[in-house]
Amino acid sequence: MRAVEYLAPEHLGEVLEVLAGADPAETVVWAGGTALGPLLRRGLVVPRTLLGLERVRELAGLSVEEDGSLRIGAAVRLRELYEAELVRLQLPALAGTARRVGNVRVQNVATVGGHLAHADPAQDLPPVLLVLDAEVRLYSRRGARALPLEEFLLGPMQTARAEDELVTEVRVPPHAFRRRTGYVRYTPRSPEDYPTVGVAASVEVDAEGVCREVRVAVGGAGPKALRVRAAEQVLVGGPLSADRCREAARRVEEEVDPWDDARGSAAYKRAMARVWAERLLQQLAAPGP
Amino acid sequence: MSGASVELWVNGDRVRARVSGGEFLAEFLREGLGLVGTKVGCGVGVCGLCTVWMDGRLVSSCLVPAVVAAGRQVWTVEGLVALAEGRVADPPPGLPPGRLVRVVQRAFVECEGLQCGICTPGQLWAACALLQEEPDPPEERLGEFLAGNLCRCTGYQGILRAVRAASREGRLAGG
Amino acid sequence: MGPVGRADGWTKVQGRAVYAADVRLPGMLYGAVVRSPHPHARILRVRSEAARAVPGVWAILTGADVRYGTYGRRVRDMPVLAREVVRFAGERVAAVAAESLPAARQAAALVEVDYEPLPAVLNPQEALQPGAPRVHEVAWQYPGAVVGPDDPSNLQSRGVWQHGEDVEEALARCAYVFDETYEIPPAHQGYLEPHACVAWAKPEGVVEVWASNKSPHRLRAQLAACLGVPAERIRVMPVYVGGDFGGKGSPMDVPVAVALSVATGRPLKLVVEYEEDLTAANPRHGSTVRIRLGVDGEGRMRALDVRAWVNGGAYAAFKPVEHVNLNGFAEAGNTYRIPAVRIESLIAYTHTVPRGHMRSPGSLEANFAVESTVDVAARALGLDPLEFRLRNVLRAGDRGTLGEPWVEMRGEEVLRALAGALEEGEGAAGTRREEEAGWARGVGVALYCRAAHAGETEVALQPRPDGSVVAWVPFPDQGGGQHTVVRNVVCKELGLLPAAVEVQQVDTDELAADSGVGGSRVTLTASAAASRACQQLRRRLEEEGLRGLGVQEAVAELARRRPAERVRGRLSVEEELWLNSVCAQAARVRVDRETGQVRVEELVTVLDVAEILHPPSHRAQVEGGVVMGLGSALLEEVVVEGGRVVSSNLHEYRLPSVADVPTLRLILVPGGKGWGPYGVKPVGEMTNVAVAAAVANAVADAVGIRVRRLPISAEEVYRLLRAQEARP
Repeated sequence: MRAVEYLAPEHLGEVLEVLAGADPAETVVWAGGTALGPLLRRGLVVPRTLLGLERVRELAGLSVEEDGSLRIGAAVRLRELYEAELVRLQLPALAGTARRVGNVRVQNVATVGGHLAHADPAQDLPPVLLVLDAEVRLYSRRGARALPLEEFLLGPMQTARAEDELVTEVRVPPHAFRRRTGYVRYTPRSPEDYPTVGVAASVEVDAEGVCREVRVAVGGAGPKALRVRAAEQVLVGGPLSADRCREAARRVEEEVDPWDDARGSAAYKRAMARVWAERLLQQLAAPGP
Repeated sequence: MSGASVELWVNGDRVRARVSGGEFLAEFLREGLGLVGTKVGCGVGVCGLCTVWMDGRLVSSCLVPAVVAAGRQVWTVEGLVALAEGRVADPPPGLPPGRLVRVVQRAFVECEGLQCGICTPGQLWAACALLQEEPDPPEERLGEFLAGNLCRCTGYQGILRAVRAASREGRLAGG
Repeated sequence: MGPVGRADGWTKVQGRAVYAADVRLPGMLYGAVVRSPHPHARILRVRSEAARAVPGVWAILTGADVRYGTYGRRVRDMPVLAREVVRFAGERVAAVAAESLPAARQAAALVEVDYEPLPAVLNPQEALQPGAPRVHEVAWQYPGAVVGPDDPSNLQSRGVWQHGEDVEEALARCAYVFDETYEIPPAHQGYLEPHACVAWAKPEGVVEVWASNKSPHRLRAQLAACLGVPAERIRVMPVYVGGDFGGKGSPMDVPVAVALSVATGRPLKLVVEYEEDLTAANPRHGSTVRIRLGVDGEGRMRALDVRAWVNGGAYAAFKPVEHVNLNGFAEAGNTYRIPAVRIESLIAYTHTVPRGHMRSPGSLEANFAVESTVDVAARALGLDPLEFRLRNVLRAGDRGTLGEPWVEMRGEEVLRALAGALEEGEGAAGTRREEEAGWARGVGVALYCRAAHAGETEVALQPRPDGSVVAWVPFPDQGGGQHTVVRNVVCKELGLLPAAVEVQQVDTDELAADSGVGGSRVTLTASAAASRACQQLRRRLEEEGLRGLGVQEAVAELARRRPAERVRGRLSVEEELWLNSVCAQAARVRVDRETGQVRVEELVTVLDVAEILHPPSHRAQVEGGVVMGLGSALLEEVVVEGGRVVSSNLHEYRLPSVADVPTLRLILVPGGKGWGPYGVKPVGEMTNVAVAAAVANAVADAVGIRVRRLPISAEEVYRLLRAQEARP
């Protein structure tokens, strides 16, 4: 029986050293363990080393940067995320969504970085972070880079992270805070399920009621969470009228590429992406608190 | 048997043991230490049977590799009951107070918050953690917090009654 | 002091209840099972070199190594480990014993098996066709088999129940015939404790077994038959059981554990991963049920024909009833006056996971099909569904649909109580109601009736010198509260406080045969046996001249004089009681027309009851039953694709969580005639059955579409709504 060692370095540099020289089958990055744990239990992943991130200082905490962007350390737990006053007040859609992921025990240990690196197409945070124009920072011994989340997520369980790279933080730019953002997770079977589809949207409407900025993203309806620019193009520059919302929703239906699974057939998910996109946009259009 | 050597604190006692590669905290507690009060159910973190308290949080011990538990404070239902029975001299901060645990235990018995009992250790942890954080939680919070602890026997009504009763009694007792 | 809790309550809230997987013995080894990935295949070769190389492995066994026979609850067709052929994906092919659980599982994963896949038949309709691949070469030769060489080769059993006029003739005379077919998928019992056992084949030739099994005496007999040893050489030890719901009445993996214990000379613990339980245990049968209901011009039911094609899976071993069919089908239409009834249930072998019992087996299938059709008929005739039922419901003094001379039939009372409850709720809901665009609201009802049975058991009372009494019982409490029932009877009859009565399960050597938990027998049987034991004890006290003393003093004195003495109360009831219980349920739902989503807002349950020995446990059974019914109605389906169960974890297979439970309203209608010294009625399998039909009927009321398959899914409702819109 192989020994499994658990390394828990305190500095990012140490982590990157290990990753630089490691065989990804033998050395596995360990954050909350909610995604990897079941794989380990079933023997689908048989590492020698678990590289724990919980002590790495550079990955901890949330803060507002000089440019006004929100920095979320990759090791921030989902629970920390939604309990942070900053997030609750400034980005309630993000807080509200994090609260719906899994259950309390999952939220206690699962991390934002781990959640994004797992890249399950049905997850809840990616569509919300997409409409908030989130960016992911990646570090390796070779250097650092920032990627829009849209470029980071590539497909089911696939990201742009190279084997020697680590997600260190997620950033939400200040202009995203100005917008009204919402997320709806459609769970026809049980509220505890993964969503059949999840639709996020973020809009900024000026004093005349004209939509100045809009983002629309869908999860659970394709190989990855998807920004639907075709829908955004319908809406920008005009009022968020019922007709325009409906049209935008039709674009969503056309753009998504879902498959059949326990949560619904591809055809149903497509239709539901349309229905919920329309509903969410109309909700965001309605004046209110 | 080859394996890693780990040291951790379980219910306040320091434990040193060899753990093998595929071993998870739940099985380590049960088979390695004989603390069988923590149960293993679904193995994917959904049912809550394997709930333990680790460094201040409730976690699914079926998903924590034993090596990851090294250096930590782990409390199981046996420890929770020891707290209730006043047998713990110096509990680490963050654990539910023994008085609260007793109130919760009694509420579960009196409100029939259990039948077969397999989910009960996990439910006790969830109820204690919730009431410790929020002595008077609104109804939606009850549901939200307890949704991660499945029960197949009771239909949840007895469990909800128990938690509400424990909340009332806990507040009456002042604290 | 608050209300007296259940007998095992404190043990459980102290985390001290011991279940099979908790048992630890010195030198114990751990087992793991190798399972077939194919639904039907010949086993060509098993190679275990790589597995043997895992440090800590003690033994690896295949079917060739195990000399035991097949096992079963009635039909003994289940091999301990497959020999030559596997008949379902998940079947046990080999087993490993090792020093640790991780080592055992790692070794099991390294066992290599070469298979030759064979054509598989996956559903009962195909399986019963001539020329279908045979699941068993000679199914009639298994002990307990109820089929013969002239039956279709894949038939497990045929159940036929009929009464009254010829049903075809009666249907032909009817003004209206409603012909509807329904699909009920397999479901998992959802006990949270996966199957677990510890077996210790001791050197002196006795095998001790701890198992997650609710009928220890039956288990002993089944093991004895399988292992080929006298029952006296097997001791089934008491443990708590973490939920059963019909799924833990078989030997399951115990014979494997015994074989590994024999091979290694050590105690052996075998606990399956939940995934193994979800995919390879004994889930509910899946059924296609066709109903033809004939109604006359006055809205009276005149004929009912029920045909069910039932998927029995690869082995019949998990059905305990003598006829190897599901008694629940016999309940079809049993609440109504119908002069011509015929029910036929064909259970077929298929190359899929063997099926077993799940809380009120066959009943949910029959009830969903019949009660949905009753609503179809009502609506077609322009009658209110509740009124239609009242017009046709059996009344006190009527014989049952199959000629049963019921002691009572309270269908009318229960329906009227439900009607009253709905009117009340209507008023309240009306004030709460906000008209949300796109949501349609509806109410649906369904009615269910179940016969009560007693079985056999024995309770022994032992006085203790401190004046308390121990009640020894041969059955576990798997949650149903039967230990509490015994305690309460003893308290009542002897005049003792609950704290002075302890209930203990003993192993199978200690008390006589017991039919175990199941079939809702236990409350009736255990309460009557406990009562007899109390009578015996009172007689002993009198014989000893202790009658004048206070009860605790008297008991204490008896214990001092006769330290080892136990008095016994035995009960064995084989005759029909002709007792039943009736339950009517209503669901209030709202349906989102655009998405098809169904939200149940309230579930009202009206239950006919008699005496209740421990109201809190009774209530818990009622509530637990309702929620389980909701699971079957809306959430649960064991999905089988290509013969393999793909719902392999609790993310996929959704058990109801607290977030899934709507408002529950419970109304008990007392005054029923129970049975036994306490006049009790069983409750364990009453409230989970009619929920699905109530919800489906509510959906029909809300949006006018008829869902004919379970679980009721938004996508199916959506599909039906769009089809409805498309119709001219």
